[in-house]
Amino acid sequence: MKVPLLVIGGGLSGLAAAIRAARFTPDVLLVEKHSRLGGLNSYFYRNKILFETGLHAITNYAEPDNKKAPLNRLLRQLKLPRKELTFCQQLQSEIVFRDCQSLLFSNDFELFRTEINTKFPKAVDHFHRLLQFLHTFDPFLPAPFRSTKKFLAEMIPDPLLIEMMLCPLMYYGSSHEQDMDLSQFAIMFRAIFQEGMFRPRGTMKDFIELIDTHYLNLGGTRRLCCGVKNIIVQQNRAMGVELESGEIIECNHIVSTIGHAETFRLIAGHRVPEEKLPRLGFIESIFHVKEPSPSPLPADRTIIFFNDGHRFSYASPVDFVDFSSGVICFPANFRGLPAKSMREIRSTHLANGSKWQNLAASPAEYTMQKQAAAQLSVQLLENMIGSFWSNIVYVDTFTPVTIERYTSKMGGAIYGSPNKIKDGNIGFSNLFLAGTDQGFLGIIGSMLSGVSIVNQHILPKL
Amino acid sequence: MTQEDIKNLILEIIEDIDDEADFAGLDPDQPLRDQLDLDSMDFLDIVMELRKRHKLQIPEEDYPQLATLNSCVAYLLPLLKNA
Ligand SMILES: Cc1cc2nc3c(=O)[nH]c(=O)nc-3n(C[C@H](O)[C@H](O)[C@H](O)COP(=O)(O)OP(=O)(O)OC[C@H]3O[C@@H](n4cnc5c(N)ncnc54)[C@H](O)[C@@H]3O)c2cc1C
Repeated sequence: MKVPLLVIGGGLSGLAAAIRAARFTPDVLLVEKHSRLGGLNSYFYRNKILFETGLHAITNYAEPDNKKAPLNRLLRQLKLPRKELTFCQQLQSEIVFRDCQSLLFSNDFELFRTEINTKFPKAVDHFHRLLQFLHTFDPFLPAPFRSTKKFLAEMIPDPLLIEMMLCPLMYYGSSHEQDMDLSQFAIMFRAIFQEGMFRPRGTMKDFIELIDTHYLNLGGTRRLCCGVKNIIVQQNRAMGVELESGEIIECNHIVSTIGHAETFRLIAGHRVPEEKLPRLGFIESIFHVKEPSPSPLPADRTIIFFNDGHRFSYASPVDFVDFSSGVICFPANFRGLPAKSMREIRSTHLANGSKWQNLAASPAEYTMQKQAAAQLSVQLLENMIGSFWSNIVYVDTFTPVTIERYTSKMGGAIYGSPNKIKDGNIGFSNLFLAGTDQGFLGIIGSMLSGVSIVNQHILPKL
Repeated sequence: MTQEDIKNLILEIIEDIDDEADFAGLDPDQPLRDQLDLDSMDFLDIVMELRKRHKLQIPEEDYPQLATLNSCVAYLLPLLKNA
């Protein structure tokens, strides 16, 4: 079998890449190792209840008439009519540095600006200068890593404000310990503070099915439970792949969305690129809570990003989990969602990937540690949002081990390698990288990554 | 294709990219992108649609010649004369 384009990985970046190409050449083939599409952003069932794996909120909210906004550009590029999707906007979210300060923000940037004006009056002019800088800065121009922390320290004289702004942007978009690339900072600042957050009215399953149907209608093909075992390379050209089944598929072009090192692991005779910086792992717990709970749960917060004290540490912890900061998500708190009988609360913390990996060899201990982590997370959350422990009817926790098992991401690192290959060029004439390790992160980011790599490297040559 | 046919073809392609594109008051000698709020990603769609519909391979260095409606017509007229 021979195809003009093979896409490796059926996560959101792979799906977007495949749709973009299939619009102009239908015989695209997408192969996904798992039995389901979606990758990091998929769904699963427990006790017949549907759980979404990786959805807190989608960033980059934009009104339909804002044609230049990334969200609308993306939908146009995929030819997905916005009318077919119903989006529910966040209510409001909050950055809480406990015993220090808190900042509210929503999809109306004025709220964030007012919060900063009242809570950091001395930093108002500096914040304004930052906005001016961001207005003219082009984060998509190729540039080497530039430290955001250093940049902000020179611009804003208030370290607390800097850390508070960085907390959500790092949690939702940094693969880098303790810092982020300035371009990535600019992208995330716009995505979260200036544009804001939303979710589809339906589930992630509905969303993925819609995208999948669209792809199939364009004439594309995809195969599930179809892992790539080897990429067959001659000199600097990829000739095709060998699937885990042994079948060989020849192709003219490949877009790989499985990660940089993960792609090289599949190429015989090529060294897996060395990573000098640690990968970041996360632990996520999902709690289903029966209502009414002992104290009413927040009804007007969508996401809370929290940190204990002044200094925010975004790094791989020494211990299994770093409970000193995290993210709390209330998936029901979006405007216009259908009511559900059960409340869901989700919590995220930084986790040490290799510690969890080592423990996974002893399943009993691993399970115990996982339960302990969920319990500690609840205690911490209760300090902030009131008690709900006694009303929990279901808990599910995933660790970096779970993420690696289902998406083959090394170290279970959701945001992949700390080093990004922004132009997708990994040294081959017809094999390019898209998705997480290209560098655009999150749901909108990964989809834009798939689209732009196909635009840049595949369409002109098809 | 006549000049008029080519004009219509381009407008049809743009309408397909953005069904809310507003052609009222479009100046055929001014860049399409600025007037219609298109970006370089949208622009690539015009090139790709021409290829899909008329098997036209437009090399990247010629993209600037598709900047305005009239320049599109001038560039495409010889290429599509038998279409
Ligand atoms: C818990 C959690 C919460 C999140 N919350 C949010 C959020 O609220 N908002 C947001 O925007 N983003 C969120 N994200 C991040 C977002 O999900 C990801 O950034 C995005 O989905 C990445 O997509 P991708 O296509 O680059 O990678 P992936 O989704 O990892 O896709 C890669 C695919 O390749 C497949 N694959 C791997 N190896 C092979 C092989 N050899 N052969 C074939 N296929 C293979 C994998 O199975 C996988 O499906 C969250 C992620 C997680 C895990």
